[in-house]
Amino acid sequence: MNLKVKYLPLIWSGIWRKPGRTTLVLLQVAVAFALFGVLQGMKTGVDRSIANTRADVLFVGPAESGGAPLPISYLDRLRSIPAMKTVSFADGFLGTYQRPTEVVFALAIPPTDLWLTLVPEIFQILPKDLEALEKTRNGALITVDMGKKYGLHVGDRIPLTSTNLQGNGSGTWTFQIVGTVTDHEPGEGGLIVINYDYLDEARALNKGTVRNFYAVISDPKGAAEVSDTIDRMFANSSNGTKTASFRENAQQQMRSIGDLNFLIRAVTSAVLVALLFSVTTIMMQTIRERTPELAVLKTLGFTDRAVFLMVMGESLLICVAAALLGLALATGVFPYTAKFIPGLAMPLSVVGLGLIGAVLVALITAAPPASRAARLQVVDALAGR
Amino acid sequence: MSLVKQFWALLRVNLAGLPARLGLVCTIVIGVACAVGVLVSMLAMGVGARQEAMGNVSPNRAVMTSIDAPSPAQSNISQDAATLIRGLPGIRHNPDGKPIVVFQVTVFVQARGKIDRAQTGFPLIGMTPGLTDYQPELHVTAGRMFKPGVHELIASNKCVRQYADFDVGAKRHMRGGDWLVVGNFDLASTVCIVFADGDTILSAFGRNTYNQANVMLESPAAFATLANALKANPALHLKVQHEAQIFEQNMQQINGILNFVSYFVGSIMALAATIGAANSLYAIVDGRRRELAILRAVGFNSSPIIVSVVLESILLALPGALIGALVAWLLFNGLLASPFGASFHMAVTPSLALSGLLWALCIGTIAGLLPAVRAARVPVSAALRAT
Repeated sequence: MNLKVKYLPLIWSGIWRKPGRTTLVLLQVAVAFALFGVLQGMKTGVDRSIANTRADVLFVGPAESGGAPLPISYLDRLRSIPAMKTVSFADGFLGTYQRPTEVVFALAIPPTDLWLTLVPEIFQILPKDLEALEKTRNGALITVDMGKKYGLHVGDRIPLTSTNLQGNGSGTWTFQIVGTVTDHEPGEGGLIVINYDYLDEARALNKGTVRNFYAVISDPKGAAEVSDTIDRMFANSSNGTKTASFRENAQQQMRSIGDLNFLIRAVTSAVLVALLFSVTTIMMQTIRERTPELAVLKTLGFTDRAVFLMVMGESLLICVAAALLGLALATGVFPYTAKFIPGLAMPLSVVGLGLIGAVLVALITAAPPASRAARLQVVDALAGR
Repeated sequence: MSLVKQFWALLRVNLAGLPARLGLVCTIVIGVACAVGVLVSMLAMGVGARQEAMGNVSPNRAVMTSIDAPSPAQSNISQDAATLIRGLPGIRHNPDGKPIVVFQVTVFVQARGKIDRAQTGFPLIGMTPGLTDYQPELHVTAGRMFKPGVHELIASNKCVRQYADFDVGAKRHMRGGDWLVVGNFDLASTVCIVFADGDTILSAFGRNTYNQANVMLESPAAFATLANALKANPALHLKVQHEAQIFEQNMQQINGILNFVSYFVGSIMALAATIGAANSLYAIVDGRRRELAILRAVGFNSSPIIVSVVLESILLALPGALIGALVAWLLFNGLLASPFGASFHMAVTPSLALSGLLWALCIGTIAGLLPAVRAARVPVSAALRAT
């Protein structure tokens, strides 16, 4: 007879000998791993998304948030900085489509190649769409979501109402849809991409200004130095700037979560201590109660080693199943965080780490009861000693 | 035998049996200790931040802002109103006979971390003359006070520790050119604070209004006098708040985050501890089946059995909470924590320990209930069969 086939049913019935007790152990281990998954997953996920953010793109905006827009003449001065590769800029205005509740942001850009690769994971334009935008002065790219929501297609016209007036006093801006854009930025409302030249020529106020510049430098390591150079360059003009790389901005936004390193370590170790102790004791108790059954198994010819492995197998099965359950729970939490941090998902490495942890917990907690079961003398056990 | 007597007898039997089941007992105690320890240490951050920020709050100080401004940042006080405000009643006068009113304008500028060079915003606070009268506890530890009319500033020692270029003599590029750091000081706060001359800030940053007017009151009771004077003078469009109220508002955000994280993690740990404790109690009760069946056979009621098991559970959870709070105190009390760009010393207080005990009470009660019911339901026949 194949031994392996014989063991599995035995392990299985050993696990479910006391269903209530096993369920509680499962739950306890699952809760502990869910907590570990959420905390460690956040930390690793945030670290990774910061590391993936470009350090070579500098965001140049007004010194005070919400301050006056920057003159477009800064473009040439930014380009004159030695470490600079390319510079682009963006502007835009808020409008509404059809109803006052349907907010749409019109992002105005110069249709240069830089936009194909600027932040592809958040905001992506395909070459054919960029070309179409370049050809049509009043053209607009819409997001796929907007197309679905409002039933809009390429070739349609989209009128927006805005407090940002045109030179002729009209608050209605009509654009020709020429393509689509992919946008993963968190936030309510729609987004369209339009030509900056068209916006600047048509608007009544703030002509010749932009909301911010995007300066791409050749060496990401020089980001801090170049940022300071730019801010110093404009410090004494009427429009001061605040410059930081994309990565630096992401770091600043997410520092609140990134700082929890110390806390995660403390919590994880406390959970681990409580868990190891609890599971070991319960396993020990289970083995003590099963002494007569184990003695019968040994009488039937099961070796010490076989009994040892069986107890280990039970613990492994429970711990790994519970850890999977807990980590699945934690993974289920992550879609909710995507609202605050775009693209945050449970990192696979954390799942792997969790499973390795589960195996270790199983081995450590099962070792004392398993060796006790293995050392069991049939005569003593049956005599109730 | 009365129910109370039955209960005491049962409790004695329960507790006397515990030393024989040391492993299970320790599981409950350690589980609760870990949950309470983590909860208390995390809450100690919020408490520490509060203590540190509110350390110097004085009932003699009050702050005036625009009547409709939700916070000082959105408040505007024109320079023209300054004379009128200085003449309001209830305000203390300094030895020279001048009213202690300091107008404040706050702008946020960028600093770079000392080690990681990461940018962080810090408040640059412009104060009109009289800062030392208004905050006598401001203690200059190096250099001197700033002079009005020139680009000079003083930075708290927290800035020096956290950010680059805040030592005395350092030059900072900001609006209006180079600003010279002329002094360092100590002042209770969780964040870096930098002071400069109020009117110099206004002109350098192109502003024409202050954010708030800080006043030293004649006495805490003079607050009402000042508030009434403002009510009688609606043209000023000002309201007055205690310094403590303003600080409380500032603390709300960071305390909100800290408390959310603390209670979130704490509840999950408490859940795990509850499950673990329930499991251990089940095992303890199972080991007692024979005794329980005999007691039932001789006429013990089920309600004293239930109460005695729940109480046993609570009695095991409470020492766990004490151990947890004690470990949290030993490890973290006074430790420098710096989450969310702030930096402060954690504080494990008696009231935190007490709330830890309350949590343990809940854990104990909930964990004890199901095993208690099981204990009360042991059939009498079990006495004959039990091994």
